[in-house]
Amino acid sequence: MSREDSLALLAKGEIPERYMRNIGTIGVDGQKRLLRSRVAVVGAGGLGGNVIELLARQGVGFMRIIDGDSFALHNLNRQILATERTIGMNKAAVAAARVAEVNSDVEIHAVAAMFNEDNAVELLSGMDVVVDALDSISCRLLLCRMAQELKIPLVHAAIAGLTGQVGIILPTGPGLEKIYKTTGGSDKGIEAELGNPAATPALAAAIQAQEVVKLLTGIGEILSHKLLYFDTELNIYELLNLG
Amino acid sequence: MRIEVRLYATLRRHALSTAGGVLAVDVPEGSTAAEVIAKVRVDANEVHLLMVNGVSSPLDQVLAEGDRLGLFPAVGGG
Repeated sequence: MSREDSLALLAKGEIPERYMRNIGTIGVDGQKRLLRSRVAVVGAGGLGGNVIELLARQGVGFMRIIDGDSFALHNLNRQILATERTIGMNKAAVAAARVAEVNSDVEIHAVAAMFNEDNAVELLSGMDVVVDALDSISCRLLLCRMAQELKIPLVHAAIAGLTGQVGIILPTGPGLEKIYKTTGGSDKGIEAELGNPAATPALAAAIQAQEVVKLLTGIGEILSHKLLYFDTELNIYELLNLG
Repeated sequence: MRIEVRLYATLRRHALSTAGGVLAVDVPEGSTAAEVIAKVRVDANEVHLLMVNGVSSPLDQVLAEGDRLGLFPAVGGG
C-alpha cells in the first residue's frame, strides 16, 4: 500500500484497514485531508518524537522533520525515539526510519540541520501546519515570526517539570511574544531547573498532535489565541486567553 | 481591595505562598499588577505570562477588587 493506494480506496468510499479506527471521529473526508496534508515538525526530541509518532499513525501524508541534534544518553528518560541503539544518531533521520516502520503512506523529508533564520523560508514554505517542538525560547520566537509571515498556523507546546502548555498561533493575532519576554534573560525557561520527566512531553505532545489533526480536518474548536496550561503537580488545567 | 493571586510552577517556591500557590492580598485601590507582584515577593523578572481574570495583561495593568491575578514563569523545554 502507498498513500496513492489509500487515497484511491477512500475515493471509492472504502476504508483502508489501517485507518478504520480513525474514521468514526474524522470521517472519510478527514482522512483524505490528512493524507494530502503537509506538516513541518521543528524539533524531534521529547515533544517532536511523540508528535511525529502520533501524526504518522493518524495518517498525515507528508512530514518535514527538522533537527540537527543527535540522541544522547540524557534523552533516554523521555524522548520516544531515543533508544540505546539510536544514541549518537541524528534525531530527524531516526524519526524518518521510525515512521517508515509505522506507516509507509507517510512521506518524510528529514532535515539534519537546526532551524534558523537562513533556512526558515525554504523549510516552512508550502506547509499546511508548523509544529513547534523546539527547546530554546529564541528559536521558538523566530519560528513563530516566520510562520506568521508565511501565513501558516503554528501549533506550539513547551514543557518543564510537571508543567506544560499548548496553544495555536495563527497568522493574524498574538504571537509567542505574548508568552515569552523578549528582552534579556536566559534562552531557557524553568526546565533548566526542573528538567523534563518522562510523562510531561508525552502529555503535551498528545494535545499538540490532536490540535494538528483538528486544524487539518476542521473538526472541533482549536486552541486559537489560547494557551492550555497544565500544572500536574496540583492537577491544574487552565485555558488562558492570549487576547 | 483584595486580589487573589495564583502562582504557578516554580513561582510557588519563592513567595509568601499558601497551599496550592493561591493567596489573598490586600492592596490600596488603584494598585497595578506589578505592585501586587512585589507585595507577594515574586521576582517580576521570573514572570513571563501575567493573566488578569484569565486574560493576558501587562505589568502596569490597574487591578480592581476581587481580580484574579495569575503569574506564570517561562516554560520552554521540548
